[in-house]
Amino acid sequence: MLLQQLVNGVTLGAVYTLLALSFSIVMGILGILNLAIAELFMIGGYLGFAVITAHLSLPVAVAAGMAGAAAISAVIEKIGYEPLRDAPLVTPMLSTLGFSIILQNIATNMWGSDPLQLPDEFLGGRIALGPVSIGELQLIVIGVTIVLVAVMAYIVQRTSMGRALRAVAENRDVARLLGVSGSRITLTAFMMSGALAGAAGVLIAIHYAAITPYVGVEIGLKAIAVMVIGGTSRIWGALLAGPLIGIAEVLTVAYGGSQIRDFVVYGFMIAILLFRPQGLLGGSGADQGQRV
Amino acid sequence: MSTYTASLLADVGILTLGALSVYVILATGQLSLGNAGFMAIGAYLASYLTVVAGVPLTSALVIAALCSGIIGVMIGFPALRLKGIFLAMATLGFGEMIRSLFLNLEITGGAGGFHGMAHVSVTYVWIWVGLILVLVWLMESSRAWLEMRAVADDETAANLIGLNTTMTKIGAFGMSAAVAAVSGGLFAHHHVYIEPGNFGFERSIDFVLAVILGGSTIGAGSLVGAALLVLLPEQLRALDDWRPAAFGALLIIVLLIRRQGILDRSLLRRFTFRKQAA
Amino acid sequence: MNSPRNKWSVLLAAAILQIAVAGSVQAQTVAIGAIVPSSGPFAEWGRSNTVTLKMLEQEVNKAGGINGAKLKVIILDDATKPAQAASSLRKLAGDEKVIAVAGPLTSSAAEVTFPVANEMKVVSMSQASSKPGVAKANRPWAFRNTIDESILAKSTVPYYKKTFDIKTVAIIFDAKDATAATVGTKIMPAMMKDNGIAIVNETDPLSFNTGDLDVSAQVTKMKSLNPDGVVLSADYSQAVTVLREMKRQGFIKPVVGATQLISSAILKAAPELPIVAPATFYASMTGGLAAPFVAELQPMLRKESGLPAEIEPSMYDANIYEIVSMYVEAAKKSGVTGKPEDLEADRTKVRDYLVKLDNFKGLGGPISFNDDGDAIKAFYVLQGQNGAWTTKVQGCSSVPGHPAC
Repeated sequence: MLLQQLVNGVTLGAVYTLLALSFSIVMGILGILNLAIAELFMIGGYLGFAVITAHLSLPVAVAAGMAGAAAISAVIEKIGYEPLRDAPLVTPMLSTLGFSIILQNIATNMWGSDPLQLPDEFLGGRIALGPVSIGELQLIVIGVTIVLVAVMAYIVQRTSMGRALRAVAENRDVARLLGVSGSRITLTAFMMSGALAGAAGVLIAIHYAAITPYVGVEIGLKAIAVMVIGGTSRIWGALLAGPLIGIAEVLTVAYGGSQIRDFVVYGFMIAILLFRPQGLLGGSGADQGQRV
Repeated sequence: MSTYTASLLADVGILTLGALSVYVILATGQLSLGNAGFMAIGAYLASYLTVVAGVPLTSALVIAALCSGIIGVMIGFPALRLKGIFLAMATLGFGEMIRSLFLNLEITGGAGGFHGMAHVSVTYVWIWVGLILVLVWLMESSRAWLEMRAVADDETAANLIGLNTTMTKIGAFGMSAAVAAVSGGLFAHHHVYIEPGNFGFERSIDFVLAVILGGSTIGAGSLVGAALLVLLPEQLRALDDWRPAAFGALLIIVLLIRRQGILDRSLLRRFTFRKQAA
Repeated sequence: MNSPRNKWSVLLAAAILQIAVAGSVQAQTVAIGAIVPSSGPFAEWGRSNTVTLKMLEQEVNKAGGINGAKLKVIILDDATKPAQAASSLRKLAGDEKVIAVAGPLTSSAAEVTFPVANEMKVVSMSQASSKPGVAKANRPWAFRNTIDESILAKSTVPYYKKTFDIKTVAIIFDAKDATAATVGTKIMPAMMKDNGIAIVNETDPLSFNTGDLDVSAQVTKMKSLNPDGVVLSADYSQAVTVLREMKRQGFIKPVVGATQLISSAILKAAPELPIVAPATFYASMTGGLAAPFVAELQPMLRKESGLPAEIEPSMYDANIYEIVSMYVEAAKKSGVTGKPEDLEADRTKVRDYLVKLDNFKGLGGPISFNDDGDAIKAFYVLQGQNGAWTTKVQGCSSVPGHPAC
């Protein structure tokens, strides 16, 4: 059972990783919490659903979810963030909350509040590896997550756009002096973040095969915890922290603590913040937190 | 006044206190996303005291405020290590932990909730709101407030000129927790039933929203923000299915038009000036 | 000097005239209030409730209204927030002068709204709350057109045991949902003991939270304990997640639960998995008044823009339809006038009529109320499999021989 539970934990962790990364791109560069990410995830899921039930392939679904969520994220940046760029950090955070309320309402009116379920034919088979059974979709979720994290890491660390992103993260004014357009980079960061949330939404919706307009709420808060544990400025941190929290959750449940699961996760997050504020993998830490 | 208006006013009062609890911390430059946790502590403790121990409500609220204040101070010490958005996320975690705790606490009914409280009138709620508003107003013109603002503006500089920034920040945490607890106690005795779901992240965010919308530079802003958050959804009923979206859109618009909040000192001066002229 | 005073007197006269006109209009209508969640996580239920009530309002008025007066149903959305439900009741009873209120829907909302109903002395009857003891704690004005889950389980569990030869079960519940948690931690464990069924995870309760996506760990754990069946205590929209995971892990065992499981959506989650749950109404029910109700309502629901195209009338639609029908009957038979000066008397008449209600023709059979304010009505133990519910046992929430059964 333990091995099977570890597989469960890693799958859950993969999703946390993608969402945490989505939070940390905006957080790491702009220092704000984009509360609408949970809803971008949800919208991505619905888009993925629509594509899959139209009998198109999974890559198309992932692409559609990413594109749709990135586009909405761009709108959020233009209306909700850019005009409030100079305001205290809490103000744009609340404007993203406004978008999250609107997106939930739109989803409810379009698809209903009851869970939308994927027909049986899309559930996918299972592979038995000794005592452990892994779903094909589980493997896909984990695989796509690793690929996306690698792509993100490459973009941020190796490309000129990534250098520009890091420059803006370090110091917006200096970056501008060096000829980097802050507003363009901000928009890019929001869209990348949206695309990741959208991809996570599609993967989750297809793997768990059921989705509601409120699907992002709980998992969004957990992803914030994962982002903190992994460190807000290290891409690879999320890849480590996601499965770590996923496994911690799964083991808490397996060994009799399903009711204190959330207590454990958030307790862990606070402990990390207090004793290793730079996250598991280091990087710039909480002592440099921007003013709210 | 119709009973409907009265109950909305009571909700405004309760939310005003919650918002003030965030306002006090925000004055030192710290953001709390977990004050619903302190509200839960106050709600459950005050209810337990009145229902099981038979303590009169006012004493129960005072005890709840003190206990929550002490917990706030205890939380304040480790929180000193954190700043800005990191502190905000730690408080978020704290709030979720408290909710999870009450979900599992059998003596207060767990998920099944807790009842048996006697209903309090809107007048009683507003006596508390009035008292605490006056207290905050007095504080705003005190030396302590200047120290808090100094910590918010530049903590290092405040330290250098010999201010006790540790005491200031921890004191703000303690006071914030106490005010949130009063808000919770009143909530419990106004709605006469509480359950852990009442005190989730959404509630913490409501507090912050009320402060920022109403105006975060002045205590009375919390009152304006709370009134807006409670009364606006009632005014949008005609929109039926699109009521939440309209609320979200208006929220964004208010933030875009008045990022400093609806009420600030210059607006307040203009109002009072006009009144005197008339 | 005189002109302002003149203006005031004109205004005053206009105001008096307006009150007089309003008064005469009010005498010709009888207002009934409803509190439903038309936005938020249960929006679908509230919206289909709204369509149901509009249909009923038309029916009643077409048939001549209430003793010559027109019926007006005033529907308020509580956004699935208990505080809004309570203030909605105050608005309906205090400002809109309704003679009775249907709703609120959830137990959490009922907990805070029922005390207000007692304070304002107006009947409030929930269409869905089934958490034990909620109406009982708020007598005499609180009612529920639902049956307490502990009574239903007494019929459900023996059928489940007999049909699937169950000797052991695992229990999993939604810890954040008050009704589901009570059923999962108190009612079902006691009922299993009474029926000699062992609970494999008795010392180790398995739970998840409303909104959780991943329950793979819980299901893997249940699977490793190898029970004969699974007790799933959750609202159907959450239960779907558990059923899907059971199917994914190949853990095909018969499932039993409370009324919260009944919906057509849940049948799609894992069609090969048998589900046993009690209900007082379901859309494919035959006989009595149920079929014509579904035939009339379903096309209207499907036309509504905020609702999914394949929606079916739910148990909560049936319940709220019955609630307002009961109020209408009470108003007709006990001589409710709808005049503002009779408001208090009218409200008392409605309550007294409900207390003595005998053989009201509900959609699934006769309805009356017990001393706790909960409905005595027929119910059915349903088994869902391969996409359809079928009635297996018919029961009644009272001692046998009661006229309502």
